[in-house]
Amino acid sequence: MKKLSVAERIFLPTLAHGMAITLRAVFRRRFTRQYPEEPIPTTPATRGQPRLVRKEDGAPACVSCGLCEYACPAYAITIDSQETERWIEREPVRFEIDMLRCILCGFCEEACPKDAIFMSQELEMAGYTREEHVFDLEGLLRPVADFEARMRYVRETNSRWQEAPLAAAAREGNKNLMGAAKEGLVQPGVAERDRTEALEDDEPPAARGRRVR
Amino acid sequence: MEVSALRVGLTILIGFGVMMTLAAGMTMVERKFSAALQERHGPNRVGPFGMMQPLADLIKFLFKEQVLPEGANRLVFRLAPAIAAMPAMLTFAAIPFGFLDGQPMVVADINVGVVFVLAVGSLGVYGVILAGWASNSKYSLLGGLRASAQMISYEVSLVLSLVAVVAVSGSLHLSEIVRAQDATWNVFVQPVAALVFLVTMFAETNRHPFDFAECEPELVGGFHTEYAGMQFALFFMGEYIAMAVMAGLMTTLFFGGCDVPFMAIDETPWWAGALAMAAKTGFFLLLFVWVRWTIPRFRYDQLMWLGWKVLLPIGLANLAVTGVALALLGPAVPVTP
Repeated sequence: MKKLSVAERIFLPTLAHGMAITLRAVFRRRFTRQYPEEPIPTTPATRGQPRLVRKEDGAPACVSCGLCEYACPAYAITIDSQETERWIEREPVRFEIDMLRCILCGFCEEACPKDAIFMSQELEMAGYTREEHVFDLEGLLRPVADFEARMRYVRETNSRWQEAPLAAAAREGNKNLMGAAKEGLVQPGVAERDRTEALEDDEPPAARGRRVR
Repeated sequence: MEVSALRVGLTILIGFGVMMTLAAGMTMVERKFSAALQERHGPNRVGPFGMMQPLADLIKFLFKEQVLPEGANRLVFRLAPAIAAMPAMLTFAAIPFGFLDGQPMVVADINVGVVFVLAVGSLGVYGVILAGWASNSKYSLLGGLRASAQMISYEVSLVLSLVAVVAVSGSLHLSEIVRAQDATWNVFVQPVAALVFLVTMFAETNRHPFDFAECEPELVGGFHTEYAGMQFALFFMGEYIAMAVMAGLMTTLFFGGCDVPFMAIDETPWWAGALAMAAKTGFFLLLFVWVRWTIPRFRYDQLMWLGWKVLLPIGLANLAVTGVALALLGPAVPVTP
């Protein structure tokens, strides 16, 4: 064992050093966030509670395809649909998310082909009953403007993931995947199509001369 | 030395009020200052800056159930918190907190103040050990035993450091000891005794780094494991008042009590003296908290080693040197450094 010096054996210099360290902390900035007054900062990457998009004309962007309901691992989403006179033909008559079941995984957002459901920046959830945590269509709808940053973020991330295998294939010289890309089986940059157009699907695509895949 | 009954009554009232407020205030100071030492905010929800927190705590404590553990000794169990808190409050009576018209402002100006403080202060250990024994719980019993062993071992070094001070001041009278420090504080005359007293002060009040009586990782809550509500709060009050008394003693014995530096005691207005006393005592109270959040707890054998093999020899040697110095330099005159 190392022989201790006299200064180390009488503790006092080290004690004084330690006391100085803690005293310095008194004058440093406090790190605690005063939560209710100081809200938690969010970024577009924040995966808050899922919310539905209300288009500018006031109708929900949802076409009631049921993909999010199917994708949901926690069975938090329940959709009942009805026919509609609008071009989309089907619309949700009941769209419920049980926030007590929701695990905030974001699968619904990924599954949605119509950019109708997004993980919002809303993080707070508190209530006295189970019922008030089941959000209905009206409770879920938020204006499109709320989701613009998130939409941009999701699109960016998705395109990165979709192009990554192709880039890797090119790097590694994977002939099969490259070939598949050439034949159009794998579409490079598919996420880069302007998905905001998807929000205006109430008109038939032919009328706007949009490419139909 | 005629002191009017009115003055005695007023002093008792003020002293008691200060004690009670201190105990409540210290819970707040402890939490706020410990938060500051850890870069936290501390309680800040109740009232402005959380100042109403002690009041909220009090209300909570009062409405809590008083649990009596199975197999506990009812009488002793109920009595122990009072026995723990009382000696601390009594000790405060002997500490002068200023001079008014040349008379010390003190509840009881006892001519053997130092002995009284030691005698009554040692009674505090009964509350702790009785609480530990009456709870009928292994943790409580171990906590109580540890506390008593610790307080008894450190009392020896405490007394030795006090005797050196008494020898230098030539009096057992606490207000005389304060007067004797008018020119030079005892901490400059007796630095070693001051250091020994400082260390034993923490052990005597069962505070960090010597809080073996309630060391959480080993003993849950130690001697007060089984206590709830106001009885538990009484232990806390006792602890804080004991801290205040120890801080007050430290100030009185080594830091000139109500003496304002570079001012003669008889020329200082009484409020300035009281303020000086409060400021010095406050510093040592903060030191208790400061040390608590800085220094890790000792091991039990280290505690005993420190008490018997380090502090005791140092205290004895210091006393011997003091004796020799006094014999050579003349008796009981404040020695200038």
